[in-house]
Amino acid sequence: MTERPAIATERIPTGIIGLDEMLHGGFLPQSANLVEGAPGCGKSTLGMHFIYHGALQGEPGMILTFEEFPQQYYRDAAAFGWDFRALERQGLLRIVMSSPEVIKADLERVGGTLERQIAEMGTRRILVDSISHFERVSDTPVTLRSHIYAFLNGLRREGLTSLLTRETPYLLGEEITANSDADSSFIADSYLLLRYVEIESAVRRALIVLKMRGSDHDHRIRQFDIGPQGLYVAQPFSGREGLLSGTSRRMSESFIKAFVKR
Amino acid sequence: MDKDLSARVMRDMDPELLEFLQLYVDSFVKWDLLYFFHENPHTIDTVENIARYAGRTPAAVHSALQELAQRRLLEETEMGEMVVYALTPNPQKRAQLEQFIRAGEDRQFRVKAIFHMVRGVGDD
Repeated sequence: MTERPAIATERIPTGIIGLDEMLHGGFLPQSANLVEGAPGCGKSTLGMHFIYHGALQGEPGMILTFEEFPQQYYRDAAAFGWDFRALERQGLLRIVMSSPEVIKADLERVGGTLERQIAEMGTRRILVDSISHFERVSDTPVTLRSHIYAFLNGLRREGLTSLLTRETPYLLGEEITANSDADSSFIADSYLLLRYVEIESAVRRALIVLKMRGSDHDHRIRQFDIGPQGLYVAQPFSGREGLLSGTSRRMSESFIKAFVKR
Repeated sequence: MDKDLSARVMRDMDPELLEFLQLYVDSFVKWDLLYFFHENPHTIDTVENIARYAGRTPAAVHSALQELAQRRLLEETEMGEMVVYALTPNPQKRAQLEQFIRAGEDRQFRVKAIFHMVRGVGDD
């Protein structure tokens, strides 16, 4: 009997109920993990939850924000009872505001400001909110991909497990297309998609792990919500399909549509 | 400007705060920038972006950032063609800034500080 190759067992849990189960324990260490979704669907909350959970385990985290002011994170975190200011005082969190062009140039230097801060704190996790801002660094898809690739490698070099958010302009459903020249989902190690879905005249939130390099994962589309203690992932949607289109339908309806001639 | 009045207003100010004011806060733009860096202490960015965050024009903040860097309250770093600014990591200077911002919560202190700045402009 041949032995199966060893599978990396160390995981970086997000602390989010249900999500770690989907990820078979959490993200892989020093991986770059992309979370994509429409405005307001919970990307930053998911990222903050990941950082907060790490800090509770004694793993210092950093939030790298482009455009969003740190006060916004203090305020949003406080709504869940997470005291980010206290974590900063304890050296378990740092919220850095900058711009993609500066961070990219800084990470390329030896002994840059970010590198120094990461070393000082012993940072293990980073939330980059959001990677969409890199689009202003270059108009050329190939160059943009190269910039993001170099940026992600800089984070890996520093030993960070990163969570990167990216906005989609669509509120409900969109055709999922990926342009390999520019799309950061190709160079990220895992790719999580957050979606609003319409079910019986109500809008709900859905999450799917589309890709996880080097690991198996839950392939089902699951409901998630944001509660008083942060984000939580619930059960898979049952008896529904077309969720990623934004407007779900019962499976029987689509069966009839597919097989009954009109 | 009445020199006696100026002296009286400054005399009853904490000497450390007075020194901080005289060294770093000689304009409203600098006051705004100090407040901004206090609220966002790990910001590292260009003149253009800091101006945008502060709701000012680059021309308005450029010289203020340069002067604060010359006085070592900010760090100025060249990154290729970019020049970026960040708050000094020096804990003593950060503590002084914290003390200034805390003092600024008191209206009387603000009035005195504004008087100092206006006097500074008048002296020019």
